[in-house]
Amino acid sequence: MSVAVEPLTTVGHVTPRVDALARVTGQAKYTNDLKLPGMLYARVLRSPHPHARIRRIDTRDASRFPGVRAVITHENAQVVWGAGAVAGGRQYSDAIKAITRQRRFIFNNPVRCVGDAVAAVAATDRHIAEQALALIQVDYELLPFVLEPEAALAADAPRLWPEGNLCLDVDNNAAPVVTEHGDLAAGFAAADQVFEQRYDTGFVHNAQLEPRCALAHWQGETLTLYTPTQGIANCRHDMARDLGLEDHQVRVVCYYMGGGFGNKNQNQDADLMAAILARHTNAPVMLEYTRRDDWLGMHGRWPTVQQYKVGVKNDGTVTAIQLIGYSGMGPYRKNAGGISGIELYACPNRYRALSPVYTNRTTSGNFRAPSEPHGVFGIESMMDDIAYKLGMDPVEFTLKNMVRPTAEQPFTNYSLDACIRMGAERFDWQARRKVVPGSDAGPLKRGAGFSFMMFRAALGRSSAIVQVDARGRYTLFVGVTDVGPGAKTTMGMIAAEALGVPLSQVDVVSGDTDRCPYSVGESGSRTTIMTGMAVVEAVKDLKRQIAARGMPTGDDVLIASATPSPSTDGKMRQCFGAHFVEVDVDTRLGTTRITKYVAVHESGRVINPQTARDQIRGAILQGIGQALHEDLLYDPASGQPLTVGYYRARHLTHLDVPAIDVHFLEVDDGYGPFGAKTVGESGIILAPAAVANAIFNATGKRMTSLPITRDKILGAVG
Amino acid sequence: MGDTSAVSSSRQEGHPTAPPARAGLEGADLAVEATASARTAPSRTTISLTVNGVRHRLEVEDRWTLVELLRDHLDLTGTKIGCDRSECGACTVLMNGLPVYACAQLAVWADGADVQTVEGLARDGRLTPLQQAFIDHNAPQCGFCTPGQLMTATALLNTVPRPDAAQVKQALVGVLCRCSNYHAIVEAVVAAGAQQGGAA
Repeated sequence: MSVAVEPLTTVGHVTPRVDALARVTGQAKYTNDLKLPGMLYARVLRSPHPHARIRRIDTRDASRFPGVRAVITHENAQVVWGAGAVAGGRQYSDAIKAITRQRRFIFNNPVRCVGDAVAAVAATDRHIAEQALALIQVDYELLPFVLEPEAALAADAPRLWPEGNLCLDVDNNAAPVVTEHGDLAAGFAAADQVFEQRYDTGFVHNAQLEPRCALAHWQGETLTLYTPTQGIANCRHDMARDLGLEDHQVRVVCYYMGGGFGNKNQNQDADLMAAILARHTNAPVMLEYTRRDDWLGMHGRWPTVQQYKVGVKNDGTVTAIQLIGYSGMGPYRKNAGGISGIELYACPNRYRALSPVYTNRTTSGNFRAPSEPHGVFGIESMMDDIAYKLGMDPVEFTLKNMVRPTAEQPFTNYSLDACIRMGAERFDWQARRKVVPGSDAGPLKRGAGFSFMMFRAALGRSSAIVQVDARGRYTLFVGVTDVGPGAKTTMGMIAAEALGVPLSQVDVVSGDTDRCPYSVGESGSRTTIMTGMAVVEAVKDLKRQIAARGMPTGDDVLIASATPSPSTDGKMRQCFGAHFVEVDVDTRLGTTRITKYVAVHESGRVINPQTARDQIRGAILQGIGQALHEDLLYDPASGQPLTVGYYRARHLTHLDVPAIDVHFLEVDDGYGPFGAKTVGESGIILAPAAVANAIFNATGKRMTSLPITRDKILGAVG
Repeated sequence: MGDTSAVSSSRQEGHPTAPPARAGLEGADLAVEATASARTAPSRTTISLTVNGVRHRLEVEDRWTLVELLRDHLDLTGTKIGCDRSECGACTVLMNGLPVYACAQLAVWADGADVQTVEGLARDGRLTPLQQAFIDHNAPQCGFCTPGQLMTATALLNTVPRPDAAQVKQALVGVLCRCSNYHAIVEAVVAAGAQQGGAA
């Protein structure tokens, strides 16, 4: 059972980041800031065509260009990028690599999207490398292409893979992924009314500010790779697996990195290209992606089509939910392509058939809460719509239908009611909501929307090492990298709390596989919980040693390590949240302005209130961008991407930012480090749904397509 | 970047969505240009400039941008390259006191200029009130935009000592933060102004 949190000494207090000084003085060294003696620069040539077979590639002029040291193509560098395409979209591993049939190489022939890598050049200077790219002659045979997932499933659609365009599942079957609960037909039979609606959502690029780069350096048979990664241990495994090395032959280093939001998990093709070029040239190689390279050569959130059918009784009880979903995965299967959200409802009769589909757009993959924001937008728009059609308050409709713990599926704790009630009160939901949507007279219309969620806060295996010397100085070794949320600081705070010493007595060593033990990686909101638990367990062991042997003396140290695999004893562990938004929609211009935003989250105990708050605020702003602006549009005639880059994707700027009130409901469920749960991903899940529902409440028009751009609003109200 | 015959020959019936041939033509043009430039070494110019109070006289390639000069040749890597196309503002430095995108300035244009980068903010290990406010208010998340935010805000505080939030947002609009930590950045600048302006 959850209990109100007891105050602690370090955890729970606003704490500046341990590396803040380096970040504000320009001393923090990111990968592209590093230089090694004799270092070469590398650049990548990319396909200008959405789908083409390379008949011939002539690199002779490029190779002869003064200063060029190596040119690699699909002909002389046939290396599988394992994490770039995985069977069933599962996490890359030896087993997954073995069964993956639709393999991705670092250079592919045919090329399957604009931006697919064709060649890489290493030269003494980046300008020379760029000039040499233009000297590579590629003879392309253009192939027909397809951009939309449903069109790609047509029998006569151009095929990206011999097996067809429906992504193969983890058993290499070409079939939609079906999840089923209860009896759907009985659920619809029991309904008084059945509602159907189609929703679609756009491609949202992760757009982290640091473009991808990699510095590879061989010493004998050992590779050192400096790279911005969201998981040094995973990156090392992947590099070793792809290059046929043992783990101990690869060292991955990442001290600072400029964001990723899920697109720097695992290893990258840039890492492999740099390693191969460094091998060819016998010199360190810094491979740099341009912003356009990063936009088209990496990935963003998958675009989706979501066809819902929902049965309800007249009293508002949901009896059946069906989702037929399509996710556009681009040419390579980097992820499952999930559309989550229907699990948020207690309705026992649920059916989802999901078709992840290959298209000739850029690749889709993980972006902060990979399956949730678009799926929650779809289902919570659907439910919001039904609530109003039944004349119900969407909050009351939710409280009636949302998932709750059952005897079969207990939770470690449950806070959805509390989050929703607290949010409704702080937002003043009853006063701000229009009982009749779109009822404001005049062109400027105000309305309020709401959404709710829960998100995994699972436990799992990770490692930590902690050491104390004779001067009472503690050193914590954790294989984390700080992708932005402040993992180094969080780990240090957990260690200090567990040790009972001030944070200033703890040094945190991280970001280097030669110096740190395995850590789970900065993805899936796992670091704080999993590596944090390892820190707690390692400290326990160290304290036992100190109790048994006393503090070390002279040059001695005491060292403790832990690799716990804790479990929740079959209980579901989730974080919870509810967001309330008020918008002004100018129906003459189609613009949406957010006038009030209240976010309530239960993320267990909050380790650092400042960084936790800013994770939520930043995630909400990304979600607002997804709701109102961001997409990667393609020209259907040419297959060319049209909105590459920050300017065209219209990311939020300082001027677009509304005030956001963030409230944490703190509880300690007895699991995780001091009861901490997840924060980083959860904040992005609710903004698209809440904003879309607010626009409906303001205008009376249901917006069924993300992003809700001005033209769509004008089209709806016109 | 194929030859044009390959592109045009494959535009056939049943491929209504084949890309226009200009993509191939552009590639061919580029190749000719690059071959020509291979015969000539990049032109160079000697310039003088002051960076963070230190005078430099050096020969630069005319094609270098200011951010390349700073990062690759003066080892001032605090200034970041986020887009290299004047979109994100991460590379913002002060040139004669005014914020400029260093990716959009050629190094030769900095001849005679006084340039300040993030490395030049702290003096003798003493942070500016703005830097301290960035620490106190958790303004950096991933930290990649931080130098650009700091330099732009420094320019603002030099002209508007106690800006309000609206003034800060207006001044910093050209510096993106994809972590979207905008609230904390604005809070930090306002707090620094309140402190600094109060002392002035």
